[in-house]
Amino acid sequence: MKKLAYCAVLAAQPAFADQPVTLNFAAEIGGQPFACDATYAGMGATGAEVRAVDFRLYVSGVEMIAADGSRAPVTLDESDWQHEGVALLDFEDGTAACANGTAPVNTALSGTVAAGEYTGVAFNVGVPFAMNHGDPTVAPSPLNLTSMFWNWRGGYKFVRIDMVPTDRSADGPKGWFLHLGSTMCASEGKTDAPAKPCKSPNLMEIAFDRFDPATQTFVIDPAAVVAEADLRVNAPETSPGCMSFPGDADCMTVMARLGLDYGDVPAAEQALVTAR
Amino acid sequence: MCLPRSRRWSRRAEMRRAAPVAVALVILSGAALALDDGGYDWPLPEWMPRPPVPEDNPMSAAKVALGRHLFYDSRLSGDGTVACASCHDPARAFTDGRQTAVGIHGTPGNLNAPSLANVAYLPVNAWANPHMTSLEFQALVPLFGEAPDEMGATGQEDRIFATLAADPYYAVAFARAFPDRPAPDLFTVTRALGAFQRSLMSYDSPYDRFKYGGDLGALSEAAKRGEQLFFDHRFECYHCHQGVLFTDNFQREGSPWVETGFHNTGLYAEYPANAPGRIEITGEPGDAGLFRTPSLRNVAVTAPYMHDGSIPNLRAVLAHYARGGREGHANQDGMIVGFDATEAEIDDIITFLESLTDESFLTNPDHADPWPADHPARINRADP
Repeated sequence: MKKLAYCAVLAAQPAFADQPVTLNFAAEIGGQPFACDATYAGMGATGAEVRAVDFRLYVSGVEMIAADGSRAPVTLDESDWQHEGVALLDFEDGTAACANGTAPVNTALSGTVAAGEYTGVAFNVGVPFAMNHGDPTVAPSPLNLTSMFWNWRGGYKFVRIDMVPTDRSADGPKGWFLHLGSTMCASEGKTDAPAKPCKSPNLMEIAFDRFDPATQTFVIDPAAVVAEADLRVNAPETSPGCMSFPGDADCMTVMARLGLDYGDVPAAEQALVTAR
Repeated sequence: MCLPRSRRWSRRAEMRRAAPVAVALVILSGAALALDDGGYDWPLPEWMPRPPVPEDNPMSAAKVALGRHLFYDSRLSGDGTVACASCHDPARAFTDGRQTAVGIHGTPGNLNAPSLANVAYLPVNAWANPHMTSLEFQALVPLFGEAPDEMGATGQEDRIFATLAADPYYAVAFARAFPDRPAPDLFTVTRALGAFQRSLMSYDSPYDRFKYGGDLGALSEAAKRGEQLFFDHRFECYHCHQGVLFTDNFQREGSPWVETGFHNTGLYAEYPANAPGRIEITGEPGDAGLFRTPSLRNVAVTAPYMHDGSIPNLRAVLAHYARGGREGHANQDGMIVGFDATEAEIDDIITFLESLTDESFLTNPDHADPWPADHPARINRADP
C-alpha cells in the first residue's frame, strides 16, 4: 500500500512531467534574411557578391541548460525532419537559385524535456558518429537526402551552405561551397563505414547559457565564418570553397570560425550561430 | 506538418516483405514476383529502397505484361513503324546508341535517348522539363509530340486504339489489367507503359555484388582504384552522381523528399536553340543549359553521352570534365572545376564505370520483346 501511495505522489508531481520545447532558427547571410532569389554583397575578404543556392544543416544532441549549469536532454519528436535525436534544418525551398533543393522547409526543432527551470540551450551541429556512417539509401528521413550525403558512407554534410559569386572573375570559381563534415575517417575505402570515430569529427558544439526559446531565435549566418576567405578564388586541385578536407587553403580561415581545429590552426569561438 | 507525403505503395507490400523465403526464391530466379491476385512486387535486394508508385496506377503483373507488349508495339505510331523500343533497346540499357533519337519518317531528334533503368525512382522523366513528373505524362511526349515528331500519333489515336482493340492479345490483356476500363485509350495505354517502365530495375552489377553482396572478388583492382577516385574530392564526380543510382535525382517510397538535380556542365558557351536546357520550360536565364543528371548505372553501354550525345565515349567525357567544361557557360555548375589526372587514373575510373554494367538487366527475359518476329506489332518496326 505504501508503495502505491508513493507512486501516486510521484505521478501527481508536475516536476516529473515533461514539458514541450520549441527552438526557432533563422538563416541569414551577412545579416540579411536568406532567400533563394536574393544576392548578398560584401562577402568575404574581397567583398564578393553572392547568391546562395543551398542552406541546410543537421542538428543533434539538443539539451536544455539549467541555471546551475546542469543539462537535461531534449527528446526530439519523431517526424520527417527529426529522427532519433537528429534534425534537419532546411531553409531552401527549391525555388529560383535553389532549384536543386527540396520544396519543404524546416526552421524549428520540437521536442520535450523534463519539466524544470532552464536558462540556456546547447546542441551540436552535425550527425553523431553512431548515426553518421550507415547506409543512407535505406536510412529513415531526414537522413536519406542524396544532397546531404558526404562521400557515400563517409557520413553526411553537417552543413551545406552553397554560395555562388555573381561578380566572379573570368577564371574564378563558379561556386564557393561551405560543406562541413567528418574527415580523416579511417576505413578501407571511401565507400566503407569507419569502425572508429573520425580523426576530425567536426561536430560543432554550441552552447548558449542564456537563451529563452519563447522569445529568442538562433541565427545561422555564414558571413562571419567566411569573413577572411576570398569567395572569388579557389585553391587549385581542391574542392570549390571549403569542404572540410585537410590541406585546403580555402579552409584555413574558415574552420577555426566554426569552432574547430584545422591542421595547425587552433579552433576559435564559433561564429556560425548567434542568439537573438 | 504540411509536407507532400510521397506516394505510397500498398500495405500489402509491407506484408510481403515479411515473407523472406519467397523473396529469396524470387531473387534467385531473377523474376519479379507475380502474385496470384494479380499483384506485383519487385525482386529488390534489401539495400535497394522501394520506388514510389502513383496512386492512380498501382502496379500489377497484368499491367506490367500489357505495358511490355505496348512498349514493343510499333502500331502505336502514326505510320506503324516506331515503337518505344525503337529508341530504347534493352541490350543498351534502353538507349539506342545514336547521338540523338530518330523519330517517324527519319525525323532527327534533339536529345539523346535516355536509359530507362530504374526510372521508377526518378522524380523528373525528361532531360530538361522539370514538370515532367510522371512516366504516364511523359509517355504523351514521344506519342504525340510534334517538335520534333517521334511516334507521330497526333490526331490518330482513335485509329490506333481501334487497331489495338482488334488484336486478340490486347482484347484479353486490357480487360485483365484494367477490369473497370477494359479498352485501349489514353489512360490505359499510358498507365500500362508507366507500369512496365517501373518494372525495369537494375541492381546486379559487379559493383553491387562487391559493395552490397560482400563479393570482394567481383571488382578488379583497377575498378577498386577507380571507385576511390570517383569518390575523391579531386574529381568531384560524386557530388552530382551520388546515391544508389549515381544521380542527384531520386525519390523513394515513404520518403517526403523529391530530389531533383539539373546542372550546366559547360558544354557550350551558348546552348543551341533546339536543346537550350531547362530555360525552354521555365524561361529563366539561370536555367540556360541546365539538364538532368543522368544515372551512371549501365553507363558503359549507353554511349554516346551528354543530353545531346555530343561526346562519343567515356574517355572523352572525362576529358571534358578534366578541362572544367568544353566551352564553358555563365551557368556552369560550380562543382565542375577541372582536374589533372594521369592516363592510368582515367583508365581506373573508366574501369570503375564499367563495373556499373548490370548484364542480367541487359538480358533480362522479363524485359524482352514479347512479340513473335512476324507479328504485325513488330514486323514494320524500326529498331535502333
